[in-house]
Amino acid sequence: MKFHLRKPIPWFQIMKITFTPILIVMLLTGMAYSSALNAQDILNKKVNLSVQNVSLADAIKGLQKSSDIKFIYSKNAINVQQKISIDAVDLPLKDVLDQILKPIGIDYEVLKDRIVLGKSSAPIVPVPPPPLMENKTKKKTKAKFDVAGTPVSGKVLDAQGQPVIGASIIEKGTTNGVTTGMDGTFKLSVTGSNSVLVVAFVGYKKQEITVGNQTVFNFTLLEDVTGLSEIVVIGYGTQKKSVTTGAISGVTSKQFEDQPVTRLEAILQGRTSGLTIAQSDGQPGSGATVRVRGITTFGAGNDPLWVVDGVVVDNGGIGYLNQSDIESIEVLKDAASQAIYGTRAATGVILVTTKKGKAGNTAINYSGYAGVSGPARKVDLLNATQYATLRNESSVAGGGSIIYANPSALGTGTDWQSLIFNDSAQKQNHELSVSGGNEKVTYYTSFGYLQQDGIVATDISKYKRANFRTNETFKPAKWLSFGNNIGYSYERNIGLGNTNSEFGGPLSSALNLDPMTPAVVTDPVAASAPIYANNPVRRNPQGYPYGISTIVTQEITNPLAYITTRLGNYSWAHNVVANGFLEVEPIKGLKIKSTLGTKTAFYGFESFTPVFYLNTSSNNSQNNYTREDNRLFNWNVENTATYNRTIGKHTFEILAGQGAYSENNFYKVGVTEYNLPVDNFADASLNFSVPANLRVGYGSENQEHHLSSLFARLSYDYDEKYLLQAILRRDGSSRFGDNFKYGNFPSISVGWVATKESFFPKNNAVSFLKIRGSYGVVGNDNFAENAFLSTIGGGRSYSFGTSDSFISGFSPNAPSNPNLHWEQTSQLNFGFDAVIYNDLNLTFEVFDKKTSGILYAPQIPFYVGAISNPFANIGDMENTGQELELGYHKKIGKLNLGLTGNISHIKNNVTFISNGVQTIGGQGFQNIQGGVTQTAVGQPFGSFYGYQEMGIFQSQAEVNSYVSSKGTVIQPNAKPGDFKWADLNGDGAITVADRTYLGSSLPTYTYGLTFNASYKNFDLLVFGAGAGGNKIFQGLHRLDIANANYTTAALGRWTGPGTSNTYPRLVDGDPNHNFTYNSDFYLESGNYFRIKTVQVGYTFPKSLVSKVSLQKARIYFNGENLFTLTKYTGYDPEIGGGSLSIDRGIYPQARAFIIGLSLGF
Amino acid sequence: MKNMKKYIQYLAVSLVVGSTITACTKSFLTVTPVGTNLEANYYQNQAQAFAGLVSVYDVVGWQGGGFVTKENAMDAASDDHVAGGGSATDISDLQMISNYTLTPAAGPQAELWKAGYSGVFRANVLLGKLPNVPMDAALKARYIAETKGLRAYFYFDLVRLFKNIPLITSPLPADQIYDIEQVAPAVIYTQIEKDLTEAIAEPSLPNTVAIATDGGRWTKGTMHALLGKVYLYEQKWTQAAAEFNQVNGTPGVANPTYGYKLLPNFGDLFKLANKYNSESILEVAHSSQSNGNWGCIACTEGNVLNIITGPRSYTPTASAPDYISGYGFLPITADLFNAIHFDPRNKPTVANLDSLKAKGLCTYDPSYQNTGFFLEKYMGRVSTRSTGSGNFELNFPQNLYEIRLADTYLMEAEALIRGSGDLVRAAALMTAVHSRAYNDNVSHPLPATLAALKLERRLELAGEGHRWFDLVRWGDAPTALASKGFIAGKHEILPVPLNDLTSTKLKQSKEWGGTL
Repeated sequence: MKFHLRKPIPWFQIMKITFTPILIVMLLTGMAYSSALNAQDILNKKVNLSVQNVSLADAIKGLQKSSDIKFIYSKNAINVQQKISIDAVDLPLKDVLDQILKPIGIDYEVLKDRIVLGKSSAPIVPVPPPPLMENKTKKKTKAKFDVAGTPVSGKVLDAQGQPVIGASIIEKGTTNGVTTGMDGTFKLSVTGSNSVLVVAFVGYKKQEITVGNQTVFNFTLLEDVTGLSEIVVIGYGTQKKSVTTGAISGVTSKQFEDQPVTRLEAILQGRTSGLTIAQSDGQPGSGATVRVRGITTFGAGNDPLWVVDGVVVDNGGIGYLNQSDIESIEVLKDAASQAIYGTRAATGVILVTTKKGKAGNTAINYSGYAGVSGPARKVDLLNATQYATLRNESSVAGGGSIIYANPSALGTGTDWQSLIFNDSAQKQNHELSVSGGNEKVTYYTSFGYLQQDGIVATDISKYKRANFRTNETFKPAKWLSFGNNIGYSYERNIGLGNTNSEFGGPLSSALNLDPMTPAVVTDPVAASAPIYANNPVRRNPQGYPYGISTIVTQEITNPLAYITTRLGNYSWAHNVVANGFLEVEPIKGLKIKSTLGTKTAFYGFESFTPVFYLNTSSNNSQNNYTREDNRLFNWNVENTATYNRTIGKHTFEILAGQGAYSENNFYKVGVTEYNLPVDNFADASLNFSVPANLRVGYGSENQEHHLSSLFARLSYDYDEKYLLQAILRRDGSSRFGDNFKYGNFPSISVGWVATKESFFPKNNAVSFLKIRGSYGVVGNDNFAENAFLSTIGGGRSYSFGTSDSFISGFSPNAPSNPNLHWEQTSQLNFGFDAVIYNDLNLTFEVFDKKTSGILYAPQIPFYVGAISNPFANIGDMENTGQELELGYHKKIGKLNLGLTGNISHIKNNVTFISNGVQTIGGQGFQNIQGGVTQTAVGQPFGSFYGYQEMGIFQSQAEVNSYVSSKGTVIQPNAKPGDFKWADLNGDGAITVADRTYLGSSLPTYTYGLTFNASYKNFDLLVFGAGAGGNKIFQGLHRLDIANANYTTAALGRWTGPGTSNTYPRLVDGDPNHNFTYNSDFYLESGNYFRIKTVQVGYTFPKSLVSKVSLQKARIYFNGENLFTLTKYTGYDPEIGGGSLSIDRGIYPQARAFIIGLSLGF
Repeated sequence: MKNMKKYIQYLAVSLVVGSTITACTKSFLTVTPVGTNLEANYYQNQAQAFAGLVSVYDVVGWQGGGFVTKENAMDAASDDHVAGGGSATDISDLQMISNYTLTPAAGPQAELWKAGYSGVFRANVLLGKLPNVPMDAALKARYIAETKGLRAYFYFDLVRLFKNIPLITSPLPADQIYDIEQVAPAVIYTQIEKDLTEAIAEPSLPNTVAIATDGGRWTKGTMHALLGKVYLYEQKWTQAAAEFNQVNGTPGVANPTYGYKLLPNFGDLFKLANKYNSESILEVAHSSQSNGNWGCIACTEGNVLNIITGPRSYTPTASAPDYISGYGFLPITADLFNAIHFDPRNKPTVANLDSLKAKGLCTYDPSYQNTGFFLEKYMGRVSTRSTGSGNFELNFPQNLYEIRLADTYLMEAEALIRGSGDLVRAAALMTAVHSRAYNDNVSHPLPATLAALKLERRLELAGEGHRWFDLVRWGDAPTALASKGFIAGKHEILPVPLNDLTSTKLKQSKEWGGTL
């Protein structure tokens, strides 16, 4: 099947694609159901039961075991202690039941696959109680005989008036209870008017009411904004939020459903504290830089560990997930919670749980949206007249001549930005899921399709993704369950190839090209100039050549021409992340689970580079066609045993586990053919036969990375008041030598729920308060393979003789370091959770995270002569910070209001760099000497480093009077209009020693705010997020190209005394290095707050939608990235990717407007 | 009870899975590298020893990722060339050495320092390993001699470029990297002399090699020439002259031991077919076969000098030379052009593009600092352009001369003149070189004066990377290069690269504001 990318796929085609898998799902579902026996089959089943004078309860137990038939009954409704006798051999069940039940006045009925018992006259509970209730009924409780109780009934609804299915209604102090049925109704017999009914459902506030004289109860459950009853995923298990002791932030599907994000990092951004997230760029499908509690290590390995349904997914490889499939995401932030993931946890652990089916009715949901996106902001550049004026000025100042005789005659010239930006880029997403199940099988299946066009050079910036997921659990017996979670995705990505790079690409070119050069040369005389006539220039569909600038050259090229050289090129990926598990519960409370997981991926690209001539230095004289295939197979096996038990008020759980992990099983093969007899991607094929020397194959494989682990966890609480958790993990890694193969990672955390104490004042002011503290140690082995060994490298070739051939030479790469050991991160965390006035919940954390023995390959002295830099355990770093999460919900009449927010502050500080290394170089920028960032002790990692400007010399007198303590002129060659550089070391000259730390490239605080409101059927959501405390290096201008265009800021340059004290004069050659020194001139505040989402929705009344068999229908209008509060002058202050806070012309994030629809069947 | 059995079965399954994996933990955690040799088990045979030797030779042809080579950097530094290129910042390392704005942080010195010590490292490794390699003893001795010669060559470049350098003669263990300090230049020179003397003394080192297969391998002649050059820089005139005498033999006559003889026609030196000709003593090898591409400029075996010296946007007519359109670097100064204009070596040395353009034979775009004169010796040609895969720009096969016979003739003459030696022989050597330029079977005598020698060296070796070293050696640099920004007492050496001053015990030279 071939995708045609140039045109958007019509809707009806999408629907076709969408429906095929759905059909498959339906068939599967049908099969699951048909396996259930029908009522007649059950009653005709032959059974054996031979008992004398046993209780009815025991008799039923016997039947259950021998016949695999389930019985359901309420002890309050029937007396199961009555003694019965029967001797039945190979009789139909119907006969047996009639024989034993009729005489004691009990009726039975077959409901689905089970038999419900009831008093002949008593009503039968409409829906079987869930297994939880069954367990309780089986307990040896003080079962009272049914004393013709008081029957009560009613309905449980949520705030929207929708029935709550499965809510429990329990008579307080007893085990007597039922759950609500499909319509939210319940019926129950209670002891009397003094009984208290307790209504509860996960995620809602518990309600209690004394029965009194009332017999019909209608409950409206309110969402539990405290979330205390929520279940939190903690790694190899779950825990009630009210008893967690670690620092865990999370989001659940409710918080992001119907929000048009394309990747799940965007879900976490602004919704969780302690995370710094910045989109890598605005290219559709691009990931984001995610940092949990800051930068943990020096190397590249700062990405958190993503664990999807228990499978570790390699860093950043979560693009395959469809957000609609996600049930919850939990971020383990403190070492105490992380320690269960040991060696790979230091940079944070993010647990993703996908949706599972629930027993009950089949739910079919569709959600989709479509809309357009465009740039939120353009950079103001000089037009042709302004450009020529400034160039003249710069040239003359540099001793040159006037370049453009009459600037005003040039008009405005070419606006390159308008040629590459697309104001109506298409975006659409469709997702359909089916879920449901029964006691033995639950399933969740979904299919999603996403298509998004980029807003820059859309022809070469597109993304498509199709997902399929199936999560199933089978529970053939109460003690046994097994299942699978399988996610698959296909991605197809067309990218600019050059984002956040000053070296070419459409954005950098649009910013730096002179406005004089025409986009397309239509004048036949101009088009016949040698540069067009003699070179393989790119032409538009009408045959006119795209303009070539002779003024601005190197990598800066006509973006329209550049686009034509990449048309059709794309990359693709198939990803399967799957696991299968088997769990047995041999004795009550003990669960033994084996899980086998894998991430398997196939990906690659195809690209054709035609012959082109974009300018003198960007040209290609020989076309080539490359096809590359990669495959990756990671697997892991984990076996765990969990035992939990409650003895009196002591509740404990013990987990012991073992895991083996194999990663990096990666293989690459590719081939490039040159000089194919075609001129475009569509015609290119490897079927063309080319001479062997024009066919270059290449390939590689990675060395596997293996981990073997043992881990254990003890969780204990006394009456949910005193809490304790202890973890120990021992990991062995193939990345270390024999001396340091294993690392141990312990942690302990304690909690105290003060509000449970009798002395704690009982009032509404503080209804819940939990104080926590934790300490733990986690590790990091995320660095190169074989670093502890000295390896031999090839490619050190030389040519001997006259045959023009060459010989491969080999030599060691670098000195080895057999003493490499684990990088350790220890973290101390204190926090509290509180509920204030019932509506406001609050979580506060304060932490101190220390990394020691950081694994890093610093640039070693060149005199060592090594080809690469060996890894060493150098450096210590500390992150300290505070986090606050707030949630507030209020209902005023029919108006529901909600406000949630979080703010995090973090301070990074490098505390030690060993081995005599005082500094570590950072990011470079064009020809700025010494780079723009540096890491040093006492500074945050990767701080901006450069010269300090102290304003501009307004006159020669000022230059002359800027003297050192010895009286010598510090900048003798400076002219009025040049920067006055601070002579920080006071040596009377401006040298490299005068550079200093100019600010942090890491945001120090991040925050997010969500406002919700609903009134009747209308709802509104406003979501904003921001970050700040960092500086951004505004590097949009090519410093090394004298003729590169400027932003309009240059209009405010110094032109004479008093004209400017911030923007220096323009002068060719830049003798004072006004622009070619890294200085605070380039640094701008990185503070921003962005309204990321504004959504207005309308839910159709149920009475209306039920007529078309719908359960739910909601339509919404969504605005994305509507506005940003920032002083930053580039496209976008949110800069992620490899180098936070350095803007080399980043692909900005789009502003989008969409209409969405979600339907529930 | 029946069900208990089942439980036990499942438990068993679970435990088996678990224990199997635990049992093989140790081997599970030891992953043998695939496709990567470890130093510990390499150098096991002759082939691996040879691969190690090739890796040392590789550094002779070192080209940095940013196009910087010793040859083009030294050309740019001299009075024969300006940097040129696309703009004042194109290959900024070359610009900075050309106009003397280099600093310890920026300039070509980092690349040249890195190249030198990479060579030293590889030589040190091999010299440490060779004694234990089971292989033919004579061959092993030859490898050792070659490696010592190569190490001497790398140190010689380092010491004359940087003066204050550390002496490292065995690979540095990881924990001793930061303990290194610089030594006096004399200590380095002693090591260089020792290595070269030992190489010369090695009977297994041949006098000549079969050029078809081994052209480029160093011989005793190479070692003598290099040692002579070392002595010349040390101003040990007599010893220098003696070494060169071994190489040069009778002026104008083929050397019976090493086969060295001036090519009759000067222009033939720069023809592709004449690799490893009789005049070649130490050649820097290149190949068009490595398919170098933009992904790794430093990885190619092609010669980057050919593309960077080509005129920009060169568009010839049918009767114009087949130059490749290049990047317009290293335009020849009017000063050199005026000096060489009426010399027979003008045409093979200087491509006068302005003249061609004026005659309507071609068009080209002037580069930054364009003079209209280009380096004919090394400009890429359509005829030498690679037709293989990779980027042709990076795959020119032309070799460079590090030392050729005309050079040793003139160096011997210099040693004789400055060392008050045999001036008759000096004049004969100079005359041989000068007369060859005319190739008319007529003697074109030169006097044995230093002035004549200096001019002859300039004209003979223009564009071959020697001029800057010559000017500095003669003490002429401050005057000759004053207009380019050369400061006496500073620019005679390059600064120690900032990288190697950071966190180490190294000190900057006092010429560059340091303490050494």
